[in-house]
Amino acid sequence: MLNMNVWNCGRRPVLPAAAPALMALAAAAALHAATFSAALDRDTITLGESATLSLTFEGGSPQKVPIPPSVPGLQISYVGPSSQFSFINGQVSSAVTHHFTITPQRAGHFVIPSLEAVVGGQVLRSDPVELTVLQPNQPTAAQITSGSQVAFMTLALPERTVYPGEAVVAELKVYLRDDVQNFGNFQFTSRPADGFAIGKMAQGGTERAQIGRRVYSIIPISLELTAVKTGSLSVGPFTAEATILLPSPNQGGDPFFAQFFNTGEQKQISLITERLEVRSLPLPTNDVPADFNGAIGQYTLSVSAGPTNVAVGDPITVRVQISGRGALDALVLPDQPAWRDFKVYPPTSKLETDDRLGIEGKKTFEEIVSPENTDVHELPEFSFSFFDPDTGGYRSLRQPPVPLTVRPGGAVAAPTLASARPANAQPPAPGIVPIKDRLGALAQLTPPLVARPGFLAVQSLPLLAWLAALVWRKRTDSLANNPRLRRQRRVAQLVQDGLSELRRLAGENNSEEFFATLHHLLQEQLGERLDCPALSITDAAVEEKLRPRGASEATVAALRELFQICNQARYAPIKGSQELAAVAARFERVVTELQSLKA
Amino acid sequence: MKTRSFTVGRFGPRLRGLRWLLLLALFFRAGTVFAADVQAQFDAANKLYAEGKFAAAAAAYEKIVRSGAVSAALYFNDGDAELKAGHLGRAIAAYRRAALLAPRDAETRANLAFARSQVEGPTLRESHWENWLGQLTLNEWTTLTMVAFWLTFALLVLGQIRPALKPSLRAGARGAAVVTIFLGACLGWEAARQLSIKTAVVVAPKAVARSGPFDEAQQAFAVHDGAELVVRDERNGWLQVGDGATHIGWLPRDQVEVIAGG
Repeated sequence: MLNMNVWNCGRRPVLPAAAPALMALAAAAALHAATFSAALDRDTITLGESATLSLTFEGGSPQKVPIPPSVPGLQISYVGPSSQFSFINGQVSSAVTHHFTITPQRAGHFVIPSLEAVVGGQVLRSDPVELTVLQPNQPTAAQITSGSQVAFMTLALPERTVYPGEAVVAELKVYLRDDVQNFGNFQFTSRPADGFAIGKMAQGGTERAQIGRRVYSIIPISLELTAVKTGSLSVGPFTAEATILLPSPNQGGDPFFAQFFNTGEQKQISLITERLEVRSLPLPTNDVPADFNGAIGQYTLSVSAGPTNVAVGDPITVRVQISGRGALDALVLPDQPAWRDFKVYPPTSKLETDDRLGIEGKKTFEEIVSPENTDVHELPEFSFSFFDPDTGGYRSLRQPPVPLTVRPGGAVAAPTLASARPANAQPPAPGIVPIKDRLGALAQLTPPLVARPGFLAVQSLPLLAWLAALVWRKRTDSLANNPRLRRQRRVAQLVQDGLSELRRLAGENNSEEFFATLHHLLQEQLGERLDCPALSITDAAVEEKLRPRGASEATVAALRELFQICNQARYAPIKGSQELAAVAARFERVVTELQSLKA
Repeated sequence: MKTRSFTVGRFGPRLRGLRWLLLLALFFRAGTVFAADVQAQFDAANKLYAEGKFAAAAAAYEKIVRSGAVSAALYFNDGDAELKAGHLGRAIAAYRRAALLAPRDAETRANLAFARSQVEGPTLRESHWENWLGQLTLNEWTTLTMVAFWLTFALLVLGQIRPALKPSLRAGARGAAVVTIFLGACLGWEAARQLSIKTAVVVAPKAVARSGPFDEAQQAFAVHDGAELVVRDERNGWLQVGDGATHIGWLPRDQVEVIAGG
């Protein structure tokens, strides 16, 4: 029996090369009647867990993957297909399974209805599948104090009365008993917050606390919530799942050593918080400041403007800094009706937060205004109003007028917010820099340098150059520290040059110079081989020192003969060029043999 | 026959050289004509923009791009025209392409920041580190790294050739090596970002990311025009995208513009 499982739920097929064979097998398998079934890997799960729905087609593939219909309370995500081919007693069968992840959003009993698929022109229908989602139980106070609870999670809100638009911070705490060795893969599976917009989340430093009989590690998580409507709101229950590592109960032995060598037992846990009711009150309708534009929190204001000595139409930059606590990101500058003698451009803003949730800090606006006539003598007062949820009332902040000197001016280009572009081309549009007149250099759409193999190959040159220099330096240093090697190389070069010289002298029939050179070369070569001064080399010394070094009788005899010829030539010079050339050839053979001797 | 062979034999090499010169001249001439033609089309598109015909101007800029000519100014103007035409996503895609060619152009960065500030809902946010790395093009990072790399090895080679200079070169070589490693890390990061990561910019007014690559799949999350999302996978005309945080879903390919870089 052969069983192949080919998964294709990743980015690319695992066995692309085997596709034709598999298709042939699938075609063979399609001769049998096709079936379609739907199944869940588990029919009962706890809220916070996921189940896998498998739609299996045997004997053929569907023309179109049947998609489970939307079931309220269930999140269904497609994972991918897998294929299976079997050869059993010569019978070929194939199965294609499409997998879906089912993540419940609430507890209850769910039915995924019957699905329909067309396989090879045949309409197939699956049976409905049922899933029961149990509500994870929150531990009781007694369970917590008894220390039987390995982990639990709580949710708290600082206040139970809020206003729409008010940002509040919910405090989630994950408690882990002291014997939990590791905690990971934490993720929320549901965060219901009816009437709230959920903002940023930030994890704080771990604390420890004694609760009942056991010590717990506490992981605090802050969550920004912004009320978006009035009436009765609720937060929670939040559910989450995580993986923890507990000491393995099966590993006995000494408790002292067990704490170091116990590899532990991994466990998947589901956590759930309580559900909190919150009342959202409408903002008071009496005494609402005229410039109130929805800001809620506690703020301070500072305003600066400059330059203050300008011509009509010149830009004045007004910097408004609003600091404090609240939904800073949503803050916008209120309109200033008193600035009617100014042309006002849309402001830019910059948010700097002091906390990780982004609800404390400062927001700086830069607004460009330009006086429209010379009757303007001041930038009127700037006002900003907000609702303070702590006091339950409105507050207005005002900055006094800024005196201005406005001179008559000509036609001046209106400022842009992003750059000092010349104004001759296009009237500046608020917010963006207008188009460019010049096309600029046309670029070639070529691969970047770092993606070109040729360029990368060239970059190996410095490395190769350095390696070459390193080798050269090592050899040079080695030569400098080895006088024998240095002499060996010098003599080899000398002999090589000397041979050419001998051939030249033989050709010129210059016997006297020939034998003087030959004698000198013999002394140098033998001196180098025997490691003694060249001038101390005689034919007697040759026999005495050369034999122990393994020189053959023929070599010694040839050397002796060459020395004798040199001596005889002083008194009876050889006159024939051919004879001299023969001597040079003999010298060359002897030298070759000498150089092969161990130095 | 003799005359002909004599002429070819005598003037052949000169004629061949002349032919190459002519071809070269024709090539440069064609390049000049092409550039002049592109400039004329660019001016015509600018005129459409000035007349307030933003959609037509955007189409004209895109036509130039399709002809094979690209420049930072061309993409920038295309971005402006798309933005004025109300196509936020297409504007962001054009500004990003302009920024790839001219990353330190303050006007491009300002308009890109402005366009991004208009995007609602989930979208990628560039970190300060990525913003800092994006100040140079990939080729500029490559050149800087290679200059430091070559300098390091030049000092090492010099130290081998002139051992007497080694002590005085040591500090320089170490400094150059440290700079090379730092620049190499920056280059690696930026190369990985630009060559292996793709961003999908949503160009539909409102798009729905689904939990699978099917029209019938459940809605995962909604994104708005201009949202920038990381492309994680592609299948059957659908792109799996994520906002770098918690949102992952599948969007039809025709609702996004895919550009290089994260």
